[in-house]
Amino acid sequence: MKRRVLAVLLVLSIVASVLSGCSRQTDQAKLQDGSGDKKGGVLNDYLESDPNGFDVQESTLLVMYTLARQLYSTLLRYKGNTLELEPELLAKMPEISPDGKTYTFELKKGIKFHDGITELVADDVKFTIERMLDPKGKGMSKWLFEPILGAKAFMEGKASTLEGFKKIDDYRFQIILEKPYAPFLHNLAVPAASIYSEKLVKAAGDNWRLNPIGTGPFKLKSYVPNTEIVLEKNPHYFEPGLPYLDGIHYRIVPDATTALMEFENGTLDVCLIPVNEYQRIKDSGKYEVLEGVALNTYYFIMNLSDPMWSDVRLRKAVAMAIDKEKLVEALYGPRGTVAKSFVTPGIPGAYESGTGPAYDYNPEEAKRLVKELGNVGKLQAWQRGGERLSDANVAIQAMLKEVGLDLEINIVESAAFSEARSKGKIPAAYGNWWADIPDPDNYLYTFFARTNQMSSGYNNEKVQDMLEQARNEVDSEKRKELYRKIEEIILREDVAVVPLFHIKSLLATQKNVKGIILHPTGINIYTYAYKE
Amino acid sequence: MTGYILRRLIFSVPVLFGVSLITFILLNVVPGDPVVEMMGKHTDPVTLEKVRDQLGLNDPLYVQFGRFLWNAIRGDLGKSFKTGQPVTKMIMDTFPTTVKLALSSAFVAVVTGIAVGIISAVKQYSFFDHASMILALAGISAPIFWVAVVAQLVFGLHLKWLPISGYSSPKHMILPAVVLGVRFAASIARYTRSTFLDVIRQDYIKTARAKGLAERAVIFGHALKNALIPVVTVIGMQISGLLTGSLLTETIFAIPGLGRLSIWALSNRDFPLVQGIVLFTAVVFVIGNLLVDISYAFLDPRVRLQ
Repeated sequence: MKRRVLAVLLVLSIVASVLSGCSRQTDQAKLQDGSGDKKGGVLNDYLESDPNGFDVQESTLLVMYTLARQLYSTLLRYKGNTLELEPELLAKMPEISPDGKTYTFELKKGIKFHDGITELVADDVKFTIERMLDPKGKGMSKWLFEPILGAKAFMEGKASTLEGFKKIDDYRFQIILEKPYAPFLHNLAVPAASIYSEKLVKAAGDNWRLNPIGTGPFKLKSYVPNTEIVLEKNPHYFEPGLPYLDGIHYRIVPDATTALMEFENGTLDVCLIPVNEYQRIKDSGKYEVLEGVALNTYYFIMNLSDPMWSDVRLRKAVAMAIDKEKLVEALYGPRGTVAKSFVTPGIPGAYESGTGPAYDYNPEEAKRLVKELGNVGKLQAWQRGGERLSDANVAIQAMLKEVGLDLEINIVESAAFSEARSKGKIPAAYGNWWADIPDPDNYLYTFFARTNQMSSGYNNEKVQDMLEQARNEVDSEKRKELYRKIEEIILREDVAVVPLFHIKSLLATQKNVKGIILHPTGINIYTYAYKE
Repeated sequence: MTGYILRRLIFSVPVLFGVSLITFILLNVVPGDPVVEMMGKHTDPVTLEKVRDQLGLNDPLYVQFGRFLWNAIRGDLGKSFKTGQPVTKMIMDTFPTTVKLALSSAFVAVVTGIAVGIISAVKQYSFFDHASMILALAGISAPIFWVAVVAQLVFGLHLKWLPISGYSSPKHMILPAVVLGVRFAASIARYTRSTFLDVIRQDYIKTARAKGLAERAVIFGHALKNALIPVVTVIGMQISGLLTGSLLTETIFAIPGLGRLSIWALSNRDFPLVQGIVLFTAVVFVIGNLLVDISYAFLDPRVRLQ
C-alpha cells in the first residue's frame, strides 16, 4: 500500500512540476498587437543566442549590437542604409580642426534617458569613454577610443582622467586625438560606443548589465535568460513620433531550422534565411525578402611567417588555383559576388565592384608555378570548429589538388583557434571578415599592421609604414590612393591573402512588416519599422 | 539503511574530488585562453595580461585548484568569467528547466517503454511484438535531431497541434519530452521485454500459475517486480544523464537548460562555470545511482542494503 501511495505521489509530483514550470505566461501574450490603421504592432523577432546581459561595452557579438541599436544611441549613426554618417545624439556634425586632431561636438538638448528624468550631458560621454578604457573594467572595444590623446596612459592606469576629453559646457565638448585618425567618426557610430548615463550606471552598480537604461527607441520591458527579451517603445525617445513599433519580442532560438519553421508558421515576423532555403522562400511569394549589401569579405589567408607558406610562388599558385566563381555559386548562389579586392566594394576608398588587384582564376599558371616549386609536401590549414570540414574548405582542398597541391585541413575547436590566432600560430585558414566600420583601415590595419595581425604573419615594413600613414592621412583622396597601393602590394606582390567573395544580407519578413532597414554593417534598424 | 546511505555519501567524496581534479587538469591542458575569449580580438597583450592577473589565472595551478576546492566546500562555486554572475545561480537558473524536461520525457519513456515491453513479452512472436520491437529498434537508431525536426514539421508546422519551439506553456513541453523520450522508451521496451521473458520462464511463475492464480496476478504480482530490477538500473542511469541536460533537444526546441549552458561555458572557456557544472553533474550522478540502489530494496525485499 505504502509503495502504491509513493508511486501515486511520484507521478503527481512529476505532473505538478511540469505544469507549474510551464504556466508562466510570456510577455508576448501580454503585449497587445497594435496593428491596424496606425503604424505600430509588436515585432516578433529572434536572436541566435542570449547576449547574457545588455552592457554593450562587454561584448562584441552581433546579438548584443542588434539589441544595443534598439536600447541605446550613439553620437553619430548611418543615414538609412547608406554609409554616410549623420548626427544621432549630436545637434550637428562635429567640427574637425585643420590638423585633423581636434573634434568639437555639440549634443542635442533635452535628450532624456529611458527613466524620463535623466538628461544626457557632456559628462555622460566622458564617463562612457573612460568606462570602456578603464583598466579594471570589462570594456571589450577599447580600440574605438584608443586614438584619443591620453587613452594609453589611462588604460595603463597611469592617468586618472582622459587627457583628450575637454568639456566646454553641459552640451559641448572636444575630443583631441593623439594623431590624426581618419576613421574616428565611424568609431563613434559603432553600437559599442553607445552613450551611457554616468548617474544611472553608478546608481545601478553591478545590476547595470541586466537593467539597461539608454536613450534608444526601445527600452527593456522584461528579460528571461536564454528564453526571451521583450522591449517596448520608449515614450521619451528624442525623435518625435518614433519608433512606430509598440515593442519587439525577441525569442532566443539557437537553431536556424527551428527559426525558419517558426517563421513559416507565422510565429516569427522576420527570419534570416539559410542559403539552401533562399529560392524556396523567395519563390513561395508568401513573404517579403529583403536583400542588402553587407560589409564582408570571405578569404583564404596564409601565414607568411610560417616556413611552409613563405614562398610567394606557392601563395600565388593558391590564389590562381581557386575558382572563386564556382566556389561562390556553389556556396551562396545569387547571394554572393566574386571578390577582386580584400576591402569590400562600396566602402569609401575601396575598389569599385568587379575591379581590384586580386589574381584571377588561372589553373594553368598555378600548375606551372607548382611545377617550378618542386615538392612542397603537405600543406596545412585550420578550420574554426565544426564537426566536419565545411563545404568551402572541401572545395578549396579539391581545387588546390587540381593544380597539384596537397592541403590538409585540421578542425580546431573555436576557443583554441582564437588563442592560436592571437599568438599568430594559425598556418592558413578560410575565414571571413565582417567590418566593424566602413573604412579600409578596419580591414587592412587589422590584418596586416605590425600589431593585431589575425595570424597573417605579415612583415612587409614598407606596407606597414603606409598603413600607419594612411590612417593618419586627413586628405580623403590621398588616403584612397594609399589604400589602393597597399592592397595592390598585399594581393599581387605579397599574396598575403586571397579574397574569395562577398555575400549579401538576406532577411525574410511577413508581408505585413514594413520599414526595416538592412544596414551594410549587419545591424538591422527597427526605428522606422511597423506592422500593417 | 541510514548507515548505508551515509557510507555511500562518504565514498562519493573521493569521486567528486577526482572529477574536479580531472576537469581542472583538462581545462588547463586543452588549448584556448579564457581571457582571449572574454576580451575579444582587438585586445592588446598588455590588457590581456592584466585581466589574467585579475582573474588569478597567473597563479600556480595548485593554488588555483586549492582555491576552487576551498570555495566549493563552502558552497561557493565562484563567478562566471564571462557574465560575472555566481556559478551556482547560473546552474540553478537552468537546472529546473532541465529537470522538467528530463522528468517529463522519463515519464513518457517509462510508461510507454514498460507497457510495450510487458505486452511484447506476454504476447511473444505476435504481430504487436514484432511491430513494437521494430519500432523500438528504429527509435534507438534514429538520430535525435532528425526525430525532432520531423516532429516539429508534422505536429508544429503542418498539423499546428503543438508549438514548434519555446518554453512558455505546458504545451511547449510535449514535443521535446516525446522526442527526448523516444530513444529512452525504445531501450526500456527492449530491456523490459527480455528481462520479462526470462522471469516468466522461472519456476516460481510456473508455481503461481499451477496454483490457479489469474494471469493478471501472475504478471503484476509476481513477474513484474522481479523483471523490473535490471530495468530500474537502466532507468536510473538514463535519468541521471537526462538531468545533466540534453544539448541537442534543448538547442532545437530553444529550451534554456543545463545542456546549452554547458556548451556555452565550454566554448567560452569559462573555467569556473565549466568546473561548477561538472561538479554539479557528478553530484547528480552520485545521488542518482544511490537512489537506484535504494530502490532495489523496495522492489525486492531479498536485497538488503548493508
